[in-house]
Amino acid sequence: MIEFNNRIAAQRLILKAVNRIVWDEELFGLSKGAIDRWVSKNALRDDLELVLRIERAAEKLFFLSNKSQEQVTEEYQRLSADVAELTRSVEASVAQYAKHIGMGKVCSN
Amino acid sequence: MSTHLYAFGSICRGEIDASSDIDLLACLSAPKAGINPDRFSIYTHTRLRELWQQGNPFAWHLHLESRILFSSDGEDFVGELGRPNNYTHTASDCEKFRLLFSDSLTALRESSNSRTFNLSCMFLATRNFATCFALGEGKPTFSRYSPFELDSKFPISREDFEIFARARILSTRGYGPNLTDQDIERAMSSSPSIVLWMKRLALEYLSMGYCSD
Repeated sequence: MIEFNNRIAAQRLILKAVNRIVWDEELFGLSKGAIDRWVSKNALRDDLELVLRIERAAEKLFFLSNKSQEQVTEEYQRLSADVAELTRSVEASVAQYAKHIGMGKVCSN
Repeated sequence: MSTHLYAFGSICRGEIDASSDIDLLACLSAPKAGINPDRFSIYTHTRLRELWQQGNPFAWHLHLESRILFSSDGEDFVGELGRPNNYTHTASDCEKFRLLFSDSLTALRESSNSRTFNLSCMFLATRNFATCFALGEGKPTFSRYSPFELDSKFPISREDFEIFARARILSTRGYGPNLTDQDIERAMSSSPSIVLWMKRLALEYLSMGYCSD
């Protein structure tokens, strides 16, 4: 139970960080389809560091979602720690990108 | 090494519309590289046997609603697993999805950030709550509209529920028109009645003499 809800909470944190920037269209989720749409709607380069970091976080969360019914293993715990680290790296990338485009486009909430 | 491919979900129910996707399962005797995880739910035989043993809702879903597309050895692995064990986690699973709905509604009320994602989570929570409740009652339904198929009347209109469903498709597939502010307001207005519905069903489940798992 905790694993499932924590995984959703981890996604919410990443999206919240990304969507602090006022995009032409916000990021709706961490699925491949949602990320591809967001990159396209906002005319972002797909090799942008922020995009790559979001994709890496999404891959880890996808792996964890496939393990949702598993026992908590060392591998699971390691990956959970990886996701926390990736969340921080996405937040750092967002801050950097916000600075690049000007603070006027960053939301406080 | 054997490979069995199945279709499951909406396509097997004939629930087809413009937003329908085809759910595919790759069932493998051993892990194998090269299968696209964006297209297939990938499970080993060992893992599926465990899900059957646990009476997991996904095992029931596959048991009742999957169709074999390909078998490398002429066998039908899922078919041969037979009936999964009884599902015994209704109370805890329903509570998990009730919490998800409630957390997502709180996030939605607190901020205009990621509203589509939060509505998407509320759809997932509502549908899965209904699916787990129905399975616990021995009346399984795996439809996207499962909340409408319970004996207890779902308190919002199909039109309003569609807003949540559209958010889910935007979040999981990036497909469909963006939600308008009016859509989001409507979904938020209907949410308190869903919270009450979940609470009432959870109490009903316990009062029917089912044990809390």
